[in-house]
Amino acid sequence: MISFINANCTFRKNAGVKNLNFSIDDGEFVFLTGPSGAGKSTILRLIYMDLFPEKGKVLIRDFDSTRIRDREIPFLRRKVGMIFQDYQLLKDRNVYQNIALALYASHYKTREIKSRVYSILNQVGLGHRVHHRPMELSGGEQQRVAIARALVKEPIVLLADEPTGNLDPRVSIELINLLNKINKKGTAVIVATHNYSLIQRVPGARLIQINEGEIISIT
Amino acid sequence: MTILWFLFKEGFKGLIRSKYSGAFSIIIIAISIMLVGFGYVIARDTLFMVENIRAQFDVDIFIKQTASRDDIAAFDAKLKKMNEINHLIYISPEEAAQKFKNEFGEDIFDILDYNPLPPSFTISFKPIYRNLISVEAIANILQSDPVVDELKYRKNFLIILEKYHRIILFTVLGIFAVLTLISIILTSNSIKMTIFARQDIISTMKLIGATNRFIKIPFVIEGTLEGGLGSLVAALIIYGMFYLQNTYFQSFFDYTAIVSYRFYIALLILGTFLGWIGSRRAIRKFLH
Repeated sequence: MISFINANCTFRKNAGVKNLNFSIDDGEFVFLTGPSGAGKSTILRLIYMDLFPEKGKVLIRDFDSTRIRDREIPFLRRKVGMIFQDYQLLKDRNVYQNIALALYASHYKTREIKSRVYSILNQVGLGHRVHHRPMELSGGEQQRVAIARALVKEPIVLLADEPTGNLDPRVSIELINLLNKINKKGTAVIVATHNYSLIQRVPGARLIQINEGEIISIT
Repeated sequence: MTILWFLFKEGFKGLIRSKYSGAFSIIIIAISIMLVGFGYVIARDTLFMVENIRAQFDVDIFIKQTASRDDIAAFDAKLKKMNEINHLIYISPEEAAQKFKNEFGEDIFDILDYNPLPPSFTISFKPIYRNLISVEAIANILQSDPVVDELKYRKNFLIILEKYHRIILFTVLGIFAVLTLISIILTSNSIKMTIFARQDIISTMKLIGATNRFIKIPFVIEGTLEGGLGSLVAALIIYGMFYLQNTYFQSFFDYTAIVSYRFYIALLILGTFLGWIGSRRAIRKFLH
């Protein structure tokens, strides 16, 4: 489903990734680990094509980084869900509106948007927080809203960039359990983290270790 | 339909969500449109005033005392046929004597026992011929007529008027152009600031797979609304100021501001257009 073929990408001085070669299959759970600045986020950005390799290529299903046009990138991103350490929720909209926005952007009909949003909120355990604004929620709840927004359009893969970075250990475990549950339903999950204790929570997950932009090991 | 309705709603809501930056933008647009509105009225009235002064320019043609009534009638007919002449008045010797009495308070017959004042014509020209070259050319033609004794006109007045008309015209049009340019820059920048303050929406929308058009439309609707509201505020202020001027200060400034409803409609269209074009330009910068 996702293939990195001799992918090189530098976007700042000495930062980026070098000669990446690996693949991720449908429904896999993958951890990208390594110290800060190792290139974990760069790999995620290459997947959702916020960055492009200078050499080699990245393939996500039919989308080829060397051939994709600017106007096709939104269609790729509708198949890729993303969550971040800072949640990236819109503070001037409530939970429902934040999630519905992803569906409006994908041209869903209002009736379907409504049923999908309520269904996904129940799945992430936030059915009672529909009309709350992000600032009225705890960090863990905000991250779950972000997950709901990423999942509502039924992506083929969910990318999580340091999703537990702002959460306490208990909420972090809850979140990783939720991601595991999502993965069990068939969505591939790629988590970039330097929190090794989380990795043990998902037995059977693949681990890609990176340092200074290079893959050290894949297990 | 769902998407269109959603985008329109987003545009309207965006105006409310933007709060201070949106209000600030409307104020800036209102100031810009007021600059253009006042600039236009000042330019128009200044040029109108200059044109009025030019309209007062006339030429006096004095007829020879020896000319018969038929000669004068023939000359009168000749003048009436001339396309360049806008208006003409025939002043008979008797009328001239009366005019002399009115102006100087003495009867010409008491001074000289006879009327030495010749019959004359006073002519004024159509606007396009109110310039030195045309007037001199027409004067030369008329001067060569056998019934004409003398032609008098204020040549220096015409030279000065032409010189200053050009200066005034360029100054007024220059000021109007500068004010319009300032208003375009102010409008565009204020909308850019509104969008800049909400960059997070753009980056989030990009992440969730929104197309550029989907991101752009609500901001363009919002910018257009800001332009429309800003120009509405400007039109109301200008209307109020002109009302006060014409009602309370007319005699003080010796000026009446006359503008039709078309002027206010033009301001509304201009503001809305500037909002539309400004938001389109601004959002493009943030999308790429």
